[in-house]
Amino acid sequence: MVSPIYIVAAALGVGFAIGVLGKLGKNFSGILALLTIGFMTFVSSEWLYAFYVGNQVPTYIFTAGFKPPISINLLMGPKEAFLTTMVNFIGLLGGIYLFFNFGRKGRNAYVVYMVFLMSLNVVIMTRDIFNLFVFLEISAIATAGLILIERGNRAVGAGFKYIIATSIISSILLIGIIFAYFYTGTLNIDGLVQAHLSTTATGGIAVFLIMIAAVLEMKPFPANGWGLDVYEGSHQGFSAVVSVATATASYYVLYKLLAIAGPVGSQWDYYLALMGAVTFIGSNLLGVKQKFARRLLAYSSIGQLGLLMLILGLRKYLGDNLDYVVLGILITNLFAKTGFFWLAGIVKAKTLKEWAIIRRKPFFLFLMGTFVFALIGFPPFPSFFAKWTMVMNLARQGGFGWIAVILIGSFLEAIYLFRWFGYAVKGEDTYKYDFNIRWHKITPIVILVAALYYAGYLTSQYTELGRMIDFIPLFFVLVLFAIDFLPVAVKNTIAILGMGTYFYFIYPDLDNLRLIFEVIFMVGGILTLIAGYAYKGKRSGFYPVAILMYAGLTGIIQAHTTLEFFFGWELMTAGSYFLIIRGKRSMPHALSYMLFSVAGAYAILAGFGIANIGQAFPSLDIMNNIQYFPNWAYGLLLIGFLTKTASVGLHIWLPGAHGEAESDVSPMVSAILLKAGVFGIVLALIGMSKSDFDLSALAYTLGWIGALTALFGNIGAVFQEDAKRLLAYSSIGQLGYIVFAFAIMTQLGWLTGFTYVINHFLYKAVLFLTVGAIVLRVGTHNMYEMGGLIKKMPWAFFAVLIGIIALSGVPPLSGFTGKWLFYNAIIEKGWYFQGVIAMFAGGIAFLYLYRLIQTIFLGQLKDNHRNVKEISIWFLIPIYTLLTGILVFSYEPQWVLKPLGNMIAQYFPNNGLHWEGSYAYSHLGYWTGAGVAATVSVVFVIAFILLKIMTRKAHKLEQFDIVFSGERPERPETTHIAYNMYAGFYKAVWPLTVPLVERFWTWMSDLVHETAGFVRRIYSGNGQAYMLHIILYIIILYFITIGGNI
Amino acid sequence: MEYLQLGRISLIISFLLIIIGFWGILSQKNIIKIIVSFTILDTGINVLIVSLGYLKGRTAPIIDASVSQGPNHNVLNAIVDPVPQALVLTAIVIGFGVTALLLAYAMKLFKAKRTLEINQFNDLKW
Amino acid sequence: MSIYAKLAYTLLGLFIVLNWGMLMSATFRKIVARVAGRHGIPFYQPWIDLIKNAGVRTTLSHGFMFYLGPVFRFTGAVGMFLFMPALFGSDMWSNFSFQGDLILLLYFQSFGMLGMAIGAGDGGHPHSTIGISRGLAQHAAIELPMILGVISLAIQYHTLSLNEIIAAQQGGFQHWTIFTNPIAGITLLLAALGAMGHSPFNLVKAPNEIPIGPPTEYHGTYLGVLMSSGAILHVIEAALFMNLLFGGATNWLEYIVKTFLIYFYSVFVGVVFPRFKIEQSVVWFFKIPLALGILAILIYSF
Repeated sequence: MVSPIYIVAAALGVGFAIGVLGKLGKNFSGILALLTIGFMTFVSSEWLYAFYVGNQVPTYIFTAGFKPPISINLLMGPKEAFLTTMVNFIGLLGGIYLFFNFGRKGRNAYVVYMVFLMSLNVVIMTRDIFNLFVFLEISAIATAGLILIERGNRAVGAGFKYIIATSIISSILLIGIIFAYFYTGTLNIDGLVQAHLSTTATGGIAVFLIMIAAVLEMKPFPANGWGLDVYEGSHQGFSAVVSVATATASYYVLYKLLAIAGPVGSQWDYYLALMGAVTFIGSNLLGVKQKFARRLLAYSSIGQLGLLMLILGLRKYLGDNLDYVVLGILITNLFAKTGFFWLAGIVKAKTLKEWAIIRRKPFFLFLMGTFVFALIGFPPFPSFFAKWTMVMNLARQGGFGWIAVILIGSFLEAIYLFRWFGYAVKGEDTYKYDFNIRWHKITPIVILVAALYYAGYLTSQYTELGRMIDFIPLFFVLVLFAIDFLPVAVKNTIAILGMGTYFYFIYPDLDNLRLIFEVIFMVGGILTLIAGYAYKGKRSGFYPVAILMYAGLTGIIQAHTTLEFFFGWELMTAGSYFLIIRGKRSMPHALSYMLFSVAGAYAILAGFGIANIGQAFPSLDIMNNIQYFPNWAYGLLLIGFLTKTASVGLHIWLPGAHGEAESDVSPMVSAILLKAGVFGIVLALIGMSKSDFDLSALAYTLGWIGALTALFGNIGAVFQEDAKRLLAYSSIGQLGYIVFAFAIMTQLGWLTGFTYVINHFLYKAVLFLTVGAIVLRVGTHNMYEMGGLIKKMPWAFFAVLIGIIALSGVPPLSGFTGKWLFYNAIIEKGWYFQGVIAMFAGGIAFLYLYRLIQTIFLGQLKDNHRNVKEISIWFLIPIYTLLTGILVFSYEPQWVLKPLGNMIAQYFPNNGLHWEGSYAYSHLGYWTGAGVAATVSVVFVIAFILLKIMTRKAHKLEQFDIVFSGERPERPETTHIAYNMYAGFYKAVWPLTVPLVERFWTWMSDLVHETAGFVRRIYSGNGQAYMLHIILYIIILYFITIGGNI
Repeated sequence: MEYLQLGRISLIISFLLIIIGFWGILSQKNIIKIIVSFTILDTGINVLIVSLGYLKGRTAPIIDASVSQGPNHNVLNAIVDPVPQALVLTAIVIGFGVTALLLAYAMKLFKAKRTLEINQFNDLKW
Repeated sequence: MSIYAKLAYTLLGLFIVLNWGMLMSATFRKIVARVAGRHGIPFYQPWIDLIKNAGVRTTLSHGFMFYLGPVFRFTGAVGMFLFMPALFGSDMWSNFSFQGDLILLLYFQSFGMLGMAIGAGDGGHPHSTIGISRGLAQHAAIELPMILGVISLAIQYHTLSLNEIIAAQQGGFQHWTIFTNPIAGITLLLAALGAMGHSPFNLVKAPNEIPIGPPTEYHGTYLGVLMSSGAILHVIEAALFMNLLFGGATNWLEYIVKTFLIYFYSVFVGVVFPRFKIEQSVVWFFKIPLALGILAILIYSF
């Protein structure tokens, strides 16, 4: 084992050697420096490995032949080993990245860089507080020197602000150290800890000065203008190292010095948490308004520092899990933020919008996506597990306010990162300049990305819960990424086979409830994938993300623990986000989808956190047995799930997201994905039905939400000109029915709910697939640009015909099954008014359904569509398979409903409905699906045959063989009634169409942006103002902490 | 005259210097003056360190003629606390380094905009 | 009773209803004409029309769906007849009402309407589409008081079975729903005005602006089928409200008298009031009928 002192020795020795051997040339010096950093990395990682294997005890390294307090000592423990390894590893990659940049400044740049890293190592390891001060100063001086490798005035200005700010902070620290020494007579940190300085008033001042200096090193909001400037102004390669390596060291300084301030749970914990919270939320809030990429990264970095400070302050709550949480956040930030800064250095796009150029090289988009999702805390990255653990612990200890702070801050971060990512994926790329690939700059980034994924896996395996997660689907996703260069047919076949095989292996383990949803997810998934054969070329990037969504969906079905569920939920969100953003004009819609999803996911996370209180093991069954704050727990869970089902108030993302998606993506995200939210609601309601608490108010509210969603969704659909948006609004309405039906919480209600779930899956998949396929043929979504297509696409027409009859609820098709059950359920439950609203919404559905079929297929064929062909056979296959499903479910509903009734009997008394053959009897009425269908079919066929015989000589007319206002029309446009078709109805119901919800969210968004725009004016750019901020921060904190006690 | 012992006087002076230093940093617009203020602050801190380590009637922790070195005489009782003295030495060195760097920056800033007014360097903001 | 006998009685019932419906529509036109100061048609005009339509030599077709429109309409009308008991308490005349309850009837109403609308759309005439768009909007508006009234009845009688609702009204007119649950009764009668489609709610066919609306392009045999369906529906709509509110019918005479009165209630309202515009019509249902409907449920909620 190499002693850590050689880290210092090697850096200094080689530094002097380079100075002496300068004649040997820049490149030689550079390589020598890199080798030295490599050696430093080796030493620290050797220690880390020894600790990891478990046979190593923390070791003190004494210097100068004396023991402390006389001499300075270093400590190499597991934490130090980990942190130094990280610092040196990032330093090594940074050295490679910056190799030529240093070279341009001459060989001394390498020396300074080595000294910089070495000083950070010592800062981490030292146990002597004055030594800490010295090396903090050395690192500051080295940093100020290295800032200058970036050319231009901005870097110089930033460097000056930085050095003067750090000097002031160091001065404060030095004064604190002196006082501490004066009162205790030691400079050793362990000695200071034992002295219990903060118990005395005067010692309290020493502690205050030391702590405030350590805090200021963490760049707390708002006294951090100088820090932002350094991140933004210095060279991107170096900003990365400062932002993560220095930050890591600063965090550890704070960690070490916090011991001086007092034991766990002392006052300073609280102050730290408070300052961290302000920084985390403040920085991310200001980031929302930021337009420039580099400064945005700076805000994000400082936000992460705030989060670390917050976590440290919350160590009382986190207990033994503190290290795990910190590790997860820190490692994600280390890898992702460094990589992001370096990526920014390569892409060289200034504003966020200019980042559209990145997708010219798709691999870079992949890199960026990895960083964005890692920073937000999506699985499988370490921050996901850290955030999970943190929330669970906080909830368990009652730190609900802190959960809110963390989630709000993270949400703000998600806003700007996803907006940025949206620009990169879909923004307009009209820029002339390009960016070049330089291998020495790419390689470190690629290493970081690989490390990020691997670290995520390792983090998950570290806990018992994480080990239960099934990574096979995720691995399949990676395989699909790897074979993305293959043609679409091959990938499609592989994807279908993969899903089929997986489904075959898992379905025996599922209970009936899960089986229904899994069939919708998997079989539905395979059917919609079949439509993918209609696409030509590579369809780059489609299959990995589609399978990512299905991996998430099957993950939530198979989940045994809340962690697995949340893991699957987030994967599904990520996958569906990528699917949605593939649409041509999807950028803003994908963003709002993602933001609602993230917010919903956080609500779910918080809900699980509360549910977990007092539970021994976080299996998914805890939802059936929530012991504390059940209204909050179920309420949060339901809100989270309602974002996915797009219930009224949370629905504004859906029309755009589903409407603008690709043809075969719309059915995936509408018919299939929305059911994930329903599954969640079902789980929550099962829990509520078993709860000992009275939760009827919650169910009642949910019922109203469902009914109003049905109404507003359907009214919205009536006035759409875009066929896919019409279907999207229709989905909102249908999901409203489903939510309402489940909220009834009786056997009949749930039967209704499941009937709607199955129905909506079937007919919405049919309708979206058909309309999507038509859009592919005619090249427009606007219904008024279509018309008369029945002559060209009879098969598509028939599919839509059956689809709309089923959706409208007209007997004899399956939609009526749902309506009939619905009436019985609401009357039995006594929810008359909600029920009437929902049924009224059903009447409105006729309007948009007729509009859909009329304006697309009937009326007049447009001239530019005279040569369109029937929709692709690859769409017709899944469509007609689903139609078969509709017909079977219509004619023999009892095949499905009987077993469903038995399954629901586990949760609710089995008294709502009984079957005699094909006859269904409720308390109120009766009805037979097969009988009605047979009667209607017989009459229909007889009538049809009779009419056909009587009109057998009918003469076929041409398109314009009609007389309209005494003229024979010649243009289809003048006689195709399609645009603004329900103008009269609009005049009657317009008050219901006022987009109040959209206005509310716009107002919220404006509020956030305006606040950010106002607050960020404190960063005036004036270095002196920043000094003032620091001084004021100290003064204010003084009054908060010890002001009144002296 | 109890109040006006050496230790106390130097303590007061050190605080005065520190406050003057902070005042200068916050109020002076000229970068060179800010740097000077910073050195005043630094000096104040150094004086503070020394005065806190001062013990009445003892001499500097240098073992020379001023310290009687009898066989039964403990040297530690004759000198002031040596640690602050050592710290000051280090602090002075570091202060020197920082000041040098600041001046180098001042030079660069002046080259960039031909001015030393700190208000003129607001390129990075918001 | 054998299935064949059942079928025979049902067909006989259908025949009665068809002819009664044709007679009623002739009477309706006669009344409207007399109110307008014209002489009007002879009472046998619908039969003449039917024969004439069947005999028209030129039949034209706009396409496959154009055929299906009348078929849907006819199936819808016949189905409504089948799923409703013709006479109460008679196994012979109960039709196929054992296959479904009131909810089935409510939703089966839309079967013919929707199919007809799609068929008419295939005709490609703008008037059809305009008429349909109005019809659907009005239908949605009628739905609201209709559902409220039906639910009120369902709460009152604890059943959704039409047979049981009629059974509960037996034993004298004082047991009729219109007297036992007047608020729901009035609500449903107001909804009935819309459902019957006479003035002021006849903007679907609005003869002056969009000559006869949806069926614009239908002629000859198609029109004959549509008219027969219309005749059946006239009776059936009236019969539905008869069964819900006026104690049903136990013999054909009662059936004829009651459906006549209900039908002509809407006709007489129609000749007095001029036609609504669509937004007026929709808003009208959202006012008094809606308020009464809510009241009809509220009285059972406490």
